[in-house]
Amino acid sequence: MSVGFIGAGQLAFALARGFTAAGVLAAHKIMASSPDTDLPTVSGLRKIGVNFTVSNKDTVKSSDVLFLAVKPPIIPFILEEVGPDIEARHIVVSCAAGVTISSIEKKLSTFCPTPKVIRCMTNTPVIVREGATVYATGTHADVEDGKLLEQLMASVGFCTEVEEDLIDAVTGLSGSGPAYAFTALDALADGGVKMGLPRRLAVRLGAQALLGAAKMLLESEQHPGQLKDNVCSPGGATIHALHFLESGGFRSLLINAVEASCIRTRELQHLADQEKISPAAIKKTLLDKVKLESPSLSVASASKVSLFTNKSKKN
Amino acid sequence: KELGCRTTHCNLEVVHRSTLVFLATKPHILPGVLEEIRPAVGPHHIVVSLVAGITIQTLQRLLPPWTKVLRIMPNLPCVVQAGAMVFSRGSNAGDEEAALLKSLLSSCGLCEEVPESYIDIHTGLSGSGVAYVYLFAEALAEGAVKMGMPGALASRIAAQTLLGAAKMLLETGEHPAKLRGDVCTPGGTTIYALHQLEKGALRATVMDAVEAATNRACDMAKD
Repeated sequence: MSVGFIGAGQLAFALARGFTAAGVLAAHKIMASSPDTDLPTVSGLRKIGVNFTVSNKDTVKSSDVLFLAVKPPIIPFILEEVGPDIEARHIVVSCAAGVTISSIEKKLSTFCPTPKVIRCMTNTPVIVREGATVYATGTHADVEDGKLLEQLMASVGFCTEVEEDLIDAVTGLSGSGPAYAFTALDALADGGVKMGLPRRLAVRLGAQALLGAAKMLLESEQHPGQLKDNVCSPGGATIHALHFLESGGFRSLLINAVEASCIRTRELQHLADQEKISPAAIKKTLLDKVKLESPSLSVASASKVSLFTNKSKKN
Repeated sequence: KELGCRTTHCNLEVVHRSTLVFLATKPHILPGVLEEIRPAVGPHHIVVSLVAGITIQTLQRLLPPWTKVLRIMPNLPCVVQAGAMVFSRGSNAGDEEAALLKSLLSSCGLCEEVPESYIDIHTGLSGSGVAYVYLFAEALAEGAVKMGMPGALASRIAAQTLLGAAKMLLETGEHPAKLRGDVCTPGGTTIYALHQLEKGALRATVMDAVEAATNRACDMAKD
């Protein structure tokens, strides 16, 4: 089985890294493509032995399972570009937040009558094989196709099938979740440093505390509230600290965060359905066309208006 | 008198005619009363103080040295036999006295022996706690009135909701967080409402309340 990634950014790198570390896939069976060869993840992918190309078409042709690992506004462009090369054998897996199965099927059906589409929401810890992934199967994807994807994603963490309408909520919770955790860990480390710990040790201990707590919860039958109680001796240090968290509305902040991420995902979906593309995305696509036509031209960053500046440095 | 008890103006008469003597005066009155009854207190007596803020140490100091003394902190719902009481024993009160008190008072609700240091905490949690519940019940009902329900009905339902929830807690022995989760269907009404409560930092505010009442009880005891 060969796997392809359209897009060679954080997600593609994380998944490729995870699959190869898990041993479910050899690096040379993976291909990734991107017009932007300067991304740090591109060299990362090359280092682990993944085939890299600037041609999305090549990736499609050489893959059985094709991951669309680009930003949501780019998806329609990608589908237009590679649509003609999609065959009934392909399993197209979209990891783009807010992009519906039906929107992908609609675009692909102009080229292929029964495209197999699976929509997936994962997260970056797949890179260390502790990802959280959900997927929903499209109209023409069989049970076996879903199971194949599940096998792949289960090698890099937890994976389960869900109804498509839950995916936005999953995005808010576990898609964005690692960012909430990183923020918490940064702050916990600050607390440690304030109270006298060296930074490196503070980071290490904070991360281990969260890791351990998460592991306890996953392996326990008990409610997190009960596990919390177990740590709080009467009148002790922990309950004093928790009072501070409650006073700051800690819980509601986390609820707000999950809600905000989920709502934003739905907004993105809405924008995508209306095929409203951001100016930056449009410029980038034009940029790609320019690069394909004149590879020797030095390129300006997407934020500059003129595409033909002399030897300008990339931002 | 309505319950069929005898009454008297004479404190000494109460002590002479009783083995178990409850002290139920206001704190500033108690020292005078103890001085008055001290001569009549004997080794057969069991003296139980309900007086807020008066420590066992103080009670033992003002009574004969071998007196069996216990201290109890009840709460208001004892009057409907749904009280929460904690008690501590003094140096001369033994297992027999503690068992007697517990069996007697269990008729009024929950009665547990505790170290004396917990008594002020009990004040903050349950003595004053009853008032927090009344406040919460009032607010629940007001919310319902705002949404169009008549006040009297809303109040009755609010009270029954608290009663029912408390009963489930006591009877299932489940962690309140688990019971809370059981009520929250995904994307449903309850989780939306709970989010509002969390936004208002209700938990921290309640913790603050218990802390404030407990600290006040400690301070008053020192006075």
